[in-house]
Amino acid sequence: MDYTADETAIIWLCAQNFDYGTRVRLLRAASRPQNLLTEFGKISQSVIKRGEMRVYNNDCRSPEKSAEAVMAGMRDCGAYAVTLLSEDYPDSLKVIPDPPLALFCIGRRELLKKKKFGIVGSRITPPWAAKEARLVSERLAERFVVATGFAEGGDRAAIDGALGSGNLICVLPLGIDGCYPAAHHALKEQVREKGLLVSEYAPGTGLKKYHFHARNRILAGLSEGVLVASAGRKSGALITANFALEFGRDVFAFPYNPGIAQGAGCNELIKSGAYLCTGAEDIFACYGISSPSRERTELSETERRVLEVLRSEGEVHAAVIAERAGIPVYEAAATLSSLEVKNLAVKAGGNRYSAL
Amino acid sequence: MIAKIICYTLNGLDGVPVEVETDVNKGIPAYEMVGLPDTAVKESKERVRSALKNSGMLFPLHKITVNFAPADIRKEGASFDLAIAISLLKASEQLTEANTDGIVFLGELALNGDLRPVNGILPILISAKGHGYQKFVIPYGNAREARFLGGAEIFAAKSLSEAVAHLRGTAPIAPLETAEFSLRAKTRTGADLAYVKGQPMARRALEIAVSGGHNLLMVGPPGTGKTMLARCLPTVMPDLTFQEALEITKIHSVAGTLGEEGIVTERPFRTPHHTATTVSMCGGGNRVVHPGEISLAHGGVLFLDELPEYKRSTLEALRQPLEDGVITIARSAGVVTYPARFMLCASMNPCPCGNYGSAELTCTCSPAEIRRYRARVSGPLLDRIDLQVEVDSIGYDELTSTQLREDSETVKGRVNEARRIQRERFEGRRVASNAEMGEREIGEFCALSRECDEILRGVFERMKLSARARSRIVKVARTIADLDASEKILPKHVYEAASYRIYDKLG
Repeated sequence: MDYTADETAIIWLCAQNFDYGTRVRLLRAASRPQNLLTEFGKISQSVIKRGEMRVYNNDCRSPEKSAEAVMAGMRDCGAYAVTLLSEDYPDSLKVIPDPPLALFCIGRRELLKKKKFGIVGSRITPPWAAKEARLVSERLAERFVVATGFAEGGDRAAIDGALGSGNLICVLPLGIDGCYPAAHHALKEQVREKGLLVSEYAPGTGLKKYHFHARNRILAGLSEGVLVASAGRKSGALITANFALEFGRDVFAFPYNPGIAQGAGCNELIKSGAYLCTGAEDIFACYGISSPSRERTELSETERRVLEVLRSEGEVHAAVIAERAGIPVYEAAATLSSLEVKNLAVKAGGNRYSAL
Repeated sequence: MIAKIICYTLNGLDGVPVEVETDVNKGIPAYEMVGLPDTAVKESKERVRSALKNSGMLFPLHKITVNFAPADIRKEGASFDLAIAISLLKASEQLTEANTDGIVFLGELALNGDLRPVNGILPILISAKGHGYQKFVIPYGNAREARFLGGAEIFAAKSLSEAVAHLRGTAPIAPLETAEFSLRAKTRTGADLAYVKGQPMARRALEIAVSGGHNLLMVGPPGTGKTMLARCLPTVMPDLTFQEALEITKIHSVAGTLGEEGIVTERPFRTPHHTATTVSMCGGGNRVVHPGEISLAHGGVLFLDELPEYKRSTLEALRQPLEDGVITIARSAGVVTYPARFMLCASMNPCPCGNYGSAELTCTCSPAEIRRYRARVSGPLLDRIDLQVEVDSIGYDELTSTQLREDSETVKGRVNEARRIQRERFEGRRVASNAEMGEREIGEFCALSRECDEILRGVFERMKLSARARSRIVKVARTIADLDASEKILPKHVYEAASYRIYDKLG
């Protein structure tokens, strides 16, 4: 991949150990970004106080050489960079107060320019919410590119839903060549093949606590709107939602029963004005996209009765369902299993089921 | 003079004849034992000496040599005492009038001349009878166990002097009457499904597991009655036949864990603690190879509570016996094969904190923690467990259905019926139950209609099941159909079978 001299300079700058503010100040001090490579010593003197340079622990004596090393690092892991100067840089991200200077990507570049919708959720997501998020993600991927993180729980559900169509962007909180959580290594391979991996961090950057916060701003910045599938009172998913609000994007949330800790944050969001979302239709409606509603599936008499019980009682134990529907327990188990396959019910653990 | 007496030692579950030869010669008094006796056998010198003296007989003050033939197998244990004492008496011409040909002597001597019971009487008697021996003198303490061997004359003596008096003909002992095998009416543990409150799903899974011989994993928070349910397993299993009882008794006799009755009348239920070593689980030992828990559970249930807490190597060692139904243990002393066809029932918590999936309590575990916890049980082992069911803490008051108060007897009736169907189906094959079916039998007996095939495909796609789960689901569906007395596997059977694969859905 070819980069202009300006772009090369920005990519090099992003790979250096400066914080975001310093990078921006350095860029401003240089009349043209490419000057950074040639006259870094001079430019940095006006930005970074003498003696402070040591703090950053960078080797800035020959920027041109180290820029080549950064490029080589990117080539090694098959990544490319999209800088603020690039045509492909997403417009929605450009308008946020602190857009990343460059995005390191692996995968389908064209996804960056498409309309994106974010789905986030905390790592501990109740089974029904995970399944519902997966379904919503699957439907949304028909019209949007689904943007999400890379964690377990809600993020994972969104990935699972959108991976099939490939309209998926995962924003990583560490260098594009890394994988966190490590258990998702195989998943990462799938995403890079079908979708797109994005990170603000150059290859080789390790994971830091504050990366998650910064990552969430990119996630919100990329998206037209954000769906919060699950969020406790202090969940990271709420940070993304707050960024989205700040950037003037729409926020959607799944409603929860009162008293369920994993949903307290979602309910708070709805109370303070987020859209209540119970399916992909709600999101489509908000963007004026007409969509056929969920196709009707043929149900047997028993299935219909069981589903009725599920809808009227919320999360119920299989034995209770059997009794209410007047069928033996083992038949209820079979029926619930078939409803599960038809995406109308979900197992909540402990032999409890709920309707979708 | 030389005397030869027949005794028996054990190799696994087989008795091996040992000839005890004693020679009493003139010379400096000495007492030698040759023929690879181990320490316990050598120690019998002192026991025999005291027992003879205290029974009013003479211990010869000559050069005594006792030889055990064949000399190449190691002799262990104290069961040679009686044979040594009798051969000494014969060799020192104190028992010239008695005919000891063709009599097998077994028993340990106490210093006062009493006979103590020994382990492994039944397998020895069975083997010896097979070798053509008809007369046995055994300790009275083993009489209960020996009664079940028909077609042989067994004399149970309380002491050495009784045995000698019997041989001399001065006070003959009446041979043991052969006992009729009868099952115990009530189980020892008193477990019965009638006492299990609620648990409709687990009850059903239990019934299916026993009907088709499937292994069972129960997942649930602590204190929800997993152990209680597991204890009920033997009570719904088909009654023991005499042949089965004999086989189980042989193992327990060798291990010395036989109860009062002398024969096993109910299916074993073994619960080794999770600190169990691989050797205690599978069998083994330094010189003598003892049967392990899996062999002691032969014909019954091996219950592993808190499955992830067991050492991984111990669990992995179960895989081969689970497939083959026997375990072959090789030691320097030789190779021993013990039967180990048991039903594996395991229980575990759903997550480290135990509250995952609970309605009232919140689980505080992260998905990674849960995955780590569950990964302690390896895939290949889980793969051998056809049924995985969640046991939950639902309140009894929430349910009123009478289905929940069924006792073991009723369930057993249905199980017996399902077993009968399977027996007829597998007539003349190596396979005895649905769980043992191989790919060939599955193809032959578990033909799926197009509709069922579609469903199974759907289930796979939606539930993200592993490929190897397929044959498991089909086998369980076959058992459910058998319980339903249905010739064909219907969609509902497939759906229900799929609902018992909760763990395949994880990562």
